[in-house]
Amino acid sequence: MLDVGRHPDIDLMAYSEVEKVEGESGAFKATIRRKARYVEEDRCTGCGACKEKCPTVLPDAFNMGLGTRKAIYSWFAQGIPSTHTIDPAHCRQLNGKKCGICQKVCQANAVNFDQKDRIVELDVGAIVVASGYKVFDPSQIPEYQYRQIPNVITAIEFERLLSASGPTAGHLHRPSDLLVEAEMEALEKDVKKSEKALDKFEQKYGQASAAFYDAYQKGAYEGDEDRGKWAEKYVAHLALVEPLDALKREAEGFDVAKRLAFVQCVGSRDFRFYPFCSGYCCMHSIKEAIIANEHERETTSVIFGMDIRAVGKGFEEYKIRGGNQSGITYVRGRVAEITEGPQRNPVVTYEDTRERKVISRDFDLVILATACAPSEGVERLAEILGIERNRFGFFKTGTSQSLDTTRPGIFACGCAHGPMDIPESVAQASGAAARAAQIVTAASMRKAS
Amino acid sequence: MRGKKPQADELRIGVFICDCGSNIAGHLDCSSVTEYASTLPGVAYAKENLYTCSEAGIGEIQKGIKEQKLNRVVVASCSPRTHQPLFQNSCAAAELNPYLFEMVNIRDQCSWVHMEEREDATQKAKDLVRMGVSKAAFLEPQQDIEASLIPRVLVIGGGVAGLSAAGSLAAMGLDVVLVEKEVEAGGLLRRINRLAPHGEKASERVLEMLLSIKARPNATLYLGSRVEDVSGYIGNFEITIRPEGGEAVREKVGCIVVATGAVPLKPEGLYRYDGTRVVTQMELEERLAAGALEAQRVVMIQCVGARSPEREYCSRICCQTAVKNARFIKEQNPEAHVHILYRDMQMYGTENEQMLCDARGEGVRFDVFSPDQPPVVQEGKVEFYQPLTGEMVGIPCDLVVLSTPLVPRDDAQALSQLLRVPVDQNGFFLEAHAKLRPLDFATDGIFVCGSARYPANVQEAVSQGLGASSRIATILFKDKLITSAIVAEIDPETCVGCMGCMEMCPYEAITYLPEKNICEVNTVLCKGCGCCAATCPSQSATLRGFKPEQLMAQIRAV
Amino acid sequence: MSKDVLVIGGGIAGIQASLDLAEMGIHVYLVESLPSIGGKMAQLDKTFPTNDCAI
Ligand SMILES: Cc1cc2nc3c(=O)[nH]c(=O)nc-3n(C[C@H](O)[C@H](O)[C@H](O)COP(=O)(O)OP(=O)(O)OC[C@H]3O[C@@H](n4cnc5c(N)ncnc54)[C@H](O)[C@@H]3O)c2cc1C
Ligand SMILES: Cc1cc2nc3c(=O)[nH]c(=O)nc-3n(C[C@H](O)[C@H](O)[C@H](O)COP(=O)(O)OP(=O)(O)OC[C@H]3O[C@@H](n4cnc5c(N)ncnc54)[C@H](O)[C@@H]3O)c2cc1C
Ligand code: SF4
Repeated sequence: MLDVGRHPDIDLMAYSEVEKVEGESGAFKATIRRKARYVEEDRCTGCGACKEKCPTVLPDAFNMGLGTRKAIYSWFAQGIPSTHTIDPAHCRQLNGKKCGICQKVCQANAVNFDQKDRIVELDVGAIVVASGYKVFDPSQIPEYQYRQIPNVITAIEFERLLSASGPTAGHLHRPSDLLVEAEMEALEKDVKKSEKALDKFEQKYGQASAAFYDAYQKGAYEGDEDRGKWAEKYVAHLALVEPLDALKREAEGFDVAKRLAFVQCVGSRDFRFYPFCSGYCCMHSIKEAIIANEHERETTSVIFGMDIRAVGKGFEEYKIRGGNQSGITYVRGRVAEITEGPQRNPVVTYEDTRERKVISRDFDLVILATACAPSEGVERLAEILGIERNRFGFFKTGTSQSLDTTRPGIFACGCAHGPMDIPESVAQASGAAARAAQIVTAASMRKAS
Repeated sequence: MRGKKPQADELRIGVFICDCGSNIAGHLDCSSVTEYASTLPGVAYAKENLYTCSEAGIGEIQKGIKEQKLNRVVVASCSPRTHQPLFQNSCAAAELNPYLFEMVNIRDQCSWVHMEEREDATQKAKDLVRMGVSKAAFLEPQQDIEASLIPRVLVIGGGVAGLSAAGSLAAMGLDVVLVEKEVEAGGLLRRINRLAPHGEKASERVLEMLLSIKARPNATLYLGSRVEDVSGYIGNFEITIRPEGGEAVREKVGCIVVATGAVPLKPEGLYRYDGTRVVTQMELEERLAAGALEAQRVVMIQCVGARSPEREYCSRICCQTAVKNARFIKEQNPEAHVHILYRDMQMYGTENEQMLCDARGEGVRFDVFSPDQPPVVQEGKVEFYQPLTGEMVGIPCDLVVLSTPLVPRDDAQALSQLLRVPVDQNGFFLEAHAKLRPLDFATDGIFVCGSARYPANVQEAVSQGLGASSRIATILFKDKLITSAIVAEIDPETCVGCMGCMEMCPYEAITYLPEKNICEVNTVLCKGCGCCAATCPSQSATLRGFKPEQLMAQIRAV
Repeated sequence: MSKDVLVIGGGIAGIQASLDLAEMGIHVYLVESLPSIGGKMAQLDKTFPTNDCAI
């Protein structure tokens, strides 16, 4: 990734979109919109001082909303380019409020609220489409209750929980517990505030609030307006402390998730959504189960799938190793329903086709292996590029030239033309590069001697 | 004259300390580190920069080299992984040999790990800078290594993968030499009927690819030939090709593609295989292509000789093949019964899953079996355990088709030794990195594609062939091969020819010269890992830029 | 006629295609809609089959 950033022959245009493509193979004219970041790319050094001071806190899309970021942000810590970006929908300054803190703290003088989108025209001989895929949103599947039950999450959310640089620093805290902890944190803040207010009265009258309130209730200080306020504040304080204590007691029982269920084919091989197989999800569930077990050796996982498709080089061996050494059991069958049981444990109901029984089992966490859907904005991109899509919604590629789209000079690779894993994507990417190179070198046959 | 330290008066080291905004300066005292640096022996100039990597910061370095006549530059900032190339190039642009540059990481190693300990972090930064300066005093200018490149490629194997690679290389203007051991190219496709998922004739596909290569004046085909000998290295391989019963031909090439494919396993001794009433999918293909299938009731059994203790891997393509053939049989004869017994239907992706669905719709029956209760082939029927009813069920049939995995060819091992590239535990060729370099070998200049690497269907083999051609173009489109000067060298005066280094070198970059009884490093193959230098008992092997005196100077400064 | 290539999407596939082309000496414009390249792979913790870190 780094090499892309510093290669003299690569013009990296991040935060940009293709708007128009005219011409033909060998001589395309492409119009690119370089969206305003409100930060100058050649000045920003990515030091991050701005985001520390920015007051606007938002859910972090890179962490699938599991963590937070600021209105001025870097997409992720090691991102290339490391240039920060201001989110124009949420930045206070850009929405007419007084702020501009980031501009003041930026020592590189990179923040520029007046930046505008720029339109660039490029002459290119060939185009490679590598626009990837979108993770299917499983809230469309009513029986799995994603977003209703906090401890039902998607595989990519789980990746972020496993990641040492993710929102939980790699600890498998359950989302329901995280919610409680967030609630506790908010309450603690309020309690601190109310303690401060009580402190003032306690100092003023030289008495502890509890003792004062006892006396107050017995009718002392009748008509004393100031002490009346104190009593009010004290009652409000108790109304905060009690639920906080209750939450604290609840939180004592919290533990990291150790009994995991992986539900395969969520949105894939399902005629309501995508009829195809997403190819990589069996493997990423096995991987996630293995890594979770590496974090915490007692972790056990059950993978529910119609078939377990481990079809790449070394994959079957990986699957067997996972079963033998990482506490994974494979159950053949489709999960019918997920509900919530005691302790916010998700309960998985499935038919065991071997035992011929319907079984319900509870887990600490359920992970949904969601389908590989055609990427965001794929229709529009197809229109702009003038290329067709196949019946599954991905870019259509040829039979004998398997990386050629329907328009000469435009090639596709990776998940842009169908689900596939990284090794396959990398091999194809080189293949698409070769097809593009054939076109641009044909013009100036080099080296053929 | 090895590693002689330049006279103190001719040494002019410049030290640039980076604040990285507040990233470093926020957690340690950069000014005091700079001041300290200026007192170190040999240091002519020390400067603190807000951002050394910014245009202004780079300008400071280049100004320093020109105005202060600096002959060594040390930058104390972030990670060399991200920034060393930038700083080295900037030195080169100011006419300072880039190998006279040294980098110290005071971000990751000081400000980040000691965030709350300002004083200690500052002290550690001083220590690291002192070490860097001490090493810099011993740095020597180096020249990048250059080697010639022959813009010609050898492709071994003329199946679809090899044909795809060869066609693409030729289209990119590189000369191609394709060696196929059979008298006809095409590989397994010559025996296959129609191709999944679209149903075109396999023979026509091969013909199309062959014709397009034959039309290229820069492609030479050696059919019925083998590669007999290979010597040399990236850019300059020497090859001996021997046509069947003919004179050996010598060729010089810059890169090599291995596209030797694989073969379906012959399931001797499994499921009463006899080649007539119990056949393999390949034998079925041949019957279908000849229009010679008479069976009315066909049972196919998957994973025959695969995904078992003796052959753990899944062969990826057999499920697609079975479904394709089942559908073809039904298409030819809708009355026919076809039943597939499987463990997992590996119909990954869009088109495959669609085929599976269509097959179900067309009446192909599917049942699952478990490896500990495999089906049993009997006279006129196949019995399998049906978990849904808990009973053995018999399926009457007049033909049993066994789906056997692709296995490495018998001579793959010999070829791997000839090319000095590895094979994996299953005998397939082993790529440099399973995920990020699937088509490269660890040995530079040699690439792999198609079923030689791991079973692949035609689309995958074709894409991989294209991919291999791209990897080669990244090398051979250049005028010459330029590699880093940071390589090992062996002093012929002190080497005693013990060959200890040869065994340690992971890149086979060291050769033994018997006539002189010494070892020699091939600087093109050497990656500068330093294994030899660490092994050499007489300190004859050293790594440029990391010579003992350079490292010792650094260590003594701790 | 132009000798440059446009690559759309900066996930692992776009990155690999760009690097190969650039190493061939072909100038590449890599257009990515998000603020940084890396695609989905950057969001993954570790990746099969080698289980090494994603980036
Ligand atoms: C029964 C069956 C049915 C199939 N059906 C389909 C299908 O419908 N659709 C589909 O997409 N795929 C199908 N496949 C897969 C298909 O066969 C492979 O995708 C394809 O063969 C891979 O091509 P390849 O070039 O990698 O290897 P191969 O086809 O094996 O070609 C390798 C070539 O290299 C030559 N060679 C080997 N060693 C040497 C050497 N040392 N020196 C010189 N030459 C050498 C061989 O003679 C051969 O010509 C099927 C496979 C089988 C077994
Ligand atoms: C949870 C999970 C875990 C996985 N784990 C693994 C694993 O361990 N190993 C493995 O091999 N595979 C794994 N995969 C699969 C892997 O993510 C894909 O194989 C890989 O990311 C595909 O890369 P790509 O470049 O084709 O697509 P993407 O990664 O989707 O990249 C596409 C890029 O294009 C950009 N883009 C999209 N549209 C446009 C546009 N119109 N203009 C400009 N840019 C655009 C996107 O922003 C994105 O950066 C996993 C997938 C998931 C969901
Ligand atoms: S202007 Fe204010 S709100 Fe907007 S990014 Fe800067 S600091 Fe944040």
